[in-house]
Amino acid sequence: MIAIMKRVRPSPYLAWIGMLSILVVGGIVGGVIVFARGLIVTNMNDLVPWGLWITIDLSSIAMSAGAFLLCAAVYLLGLKRFQPVARTATFIGLIGYSMAVLTLLLDIGRPDRFWHALVFWNPHSVLWEVTMCVTLYLTVLLLECLPILGHASWFEKRWPGIASRLQSVHRFAPYLAVVGLGLSMLHQSSLGATYGILKARPIWYRPDLSVLFMVSAMAGGPALTVLVSMLAGRLSKRIQVEDHLLERISYFVGWVLVGYLYFRFWDAFSMTYTYEPGRTEGLAILTRGLLSFNFWVGEIALGMVIPIFLLLNSRTRQQPILRMLALALVVGGVVAYRWDVNLSGQLVLLSYLPQELATRYTTYFPSLIEFMAGIGVVAYGALAVTLGIRYLNVVHHPTAEEAVHVVGALPAAAD
Amino acid sequence: MSDKPINRREFLKIAAVGTATYAGLRVARRVAASSPKGSSPHSWAMVIDQSKCTGCGYCTLACRAHNDVPPEISWNRVIEVGKVGDRPVFLARPCMHCDNAPCVEVCMVKASYQRPDGIIMMDYDRCIGCRYCEVACPYGGRAFNWEAFTGPNPAVPTWGQPEVPRRPRGVVEKCSFCYQRIDRGLAMGLTPGVDEEATPACVVACQVGARIFGDLNDEESNVSQALKSNPYYQLRADLGTIPHVYYLPAREEVEA
Repeated sequence: MIAIMKRVRPSPYLAWIGMLSILVVGGIVGGVIVFARGLIVTNMNDLVPWGLWITIDLSSIAMSAGAFLLCAAVYLLGLKRFQPVARTATFIGLIGYSMAVLTLLLDIGRPDRFWHALVFWNPHSVLWEVTMCVTLYLTVLLLECLPILGHASWFEKRWPGIASRLQSVHRFAPYLAVVGLGLSMLHQSSLGATYGILKARPIWYRPDLSVLFMVSAMAGGPALTVLVSMLAGRLSKRIQVEDHLLERISYFVGWVLVGYLYFRFWDAFSMTYTYEPGRTEGLAILTRGLLSFNFWVGEIALGMVIPIFLLLNSRTRQQPILRMLALALVVGGVVAYRWDVNLSGQLVLLSYLPQELATRYTTYFPSLIEFMAGIGVVAYGALAVTLGIRYLNVVHHPTAEEAVHVVGALPAAAD
Repeated sequence: MSDKPINRREFLKIAAVGTATYAGLRVARRVAASSPKGSSPHSWAMVIDQSKCTGCGYCTLACRAHNDVPPEISWNRVIEVGKVGDRPVFLARPCMHCDNAPCVEVCMVKASYQRPDGIIMMDYDRCIGCRYCEVACPYGGRAFNWEAFTGPNPAVPTWGQPEVPRRPRGVVEKCSFCYQRIDRGLAMGLTPGVDEEATPACVVACQVGARIFGDLNDEESNVSQALKSNPYYQLRADLGTIPHVYYLPAREEVEA
């Protein structure tokens, strides 16, 4: 132990790991308090039963969308050169979904009964469908990540037999990509539909939510994958990245954002025409009220408009700093969108009393424990990705020589 | 993997056939089952007469005692909604026991379900506490147990004795039309809505007779009669939830 201590020298990397570890410990403390005392320690209540945690849950699933998109690109569209990025995205996806599961365990009142969703089926419930898809997709991601472990040099050295068996799972990558694509398309949209089918909340009750959740995930997921890859390439001398691959994906993100802005515009604009109790008030909260800064600045200006310009303009896109800034803004914008959707429907209290059109409003701000546990989950994600980059080489773009080998090892089923 | 892999077209074909078969089977099952109410002779409903309600809140307290509801939760809320003449008008809001219940539709574990007699039930042993039903209910009829309810119930014994087990921390709870009283009453040969022991506690507790309970399938029942001879409305009928709670509006003439 002392020998290890002596070898360790302070470095920015260690400071980063140390900070994340402290936040994770804070999260564990928060989680223990939640399990011991119940959800009374949160600021959620019967008027706002879904708060910060559901936002983190939705956001981490959206941020994992890079996995299915890049796997589909590599194994179904045959864009094999993106394979190393798909590898990064798959690992980020695995961590993202595990974050979602952790947040859900915090959020449900009876975490001891989490398995009920798998045993007692209500196929009519979109949340049931989401749970099924997430569980199955988590399995797919685990299988997709087995070769990553198998290829880690320390693992190969110690357990060569197991390593080669894990590596061989890669043969199924095209099939896993098909399954992953189907499951992801289903539940990424259904998470929007979770809100979109509720007639009781007029601001949610519209089919657009499924589309918007899907499209925003298609922007946010690849954005995070590219951002993480670029950061890893810049911060570590050991890691080489093929910047033209990352640049192409960033360009794709830019165009997805155009589509996202288009849908978001018509979605919001069409709601301004007729007065609809509850819906109009919800839109007012977004555009003029409590959530207006989030909406105009977080979602629209920083989350869409500025990144569209930075990512579609080749001069700014080729500037690594500007590109990374744009990608970070995209991620922030998608998180802001999830937060806004969740709250815009709950802060408006639509009356059920006859002839009472007036709506009342409530407010919500997460409690300290909610922040501790929520930030803890995010820190766990960042820590896991950092360690993955360091010990599992998840950001690894092979040199030309290696690349021939890797592509040669790819199955031919993609065509 | 060496033998001929399924090509894309075949895969899609298999997927399409599989999906169609599944959908067909589901539709067939739906049709066969038709309405769950088919298997019960009863269809329970409540009529609340706003011209009689004085807003005393006895119903809420009786409900708390008989169902062992914690003081911070009301399965049955009484709200002042306005005035007719100079007399205040109240609206008592139990669970609406909707025929198209949004809570039942969204519950992923079927912890919320509709009994054949129309009562929307909660399986407290199955609920995982995701609170989707709470978000989905247009009537605010559901409450989550944010903390454990321990200690004595202040409504007991003044307003009655608990007849059902207390709910644990972390599940959603709501009005059940006092199913325990209905079921036991029927087993004893009593008529819910007529005999007090077989009637929901809030109806029994009402001092002014503002609540009527009974069987919609029985044309002679007091609810059927009340609905036949009075104008009535349901809350948010526009949503298509088909509530089993009906309101007789307060009118000036009645007051005079």
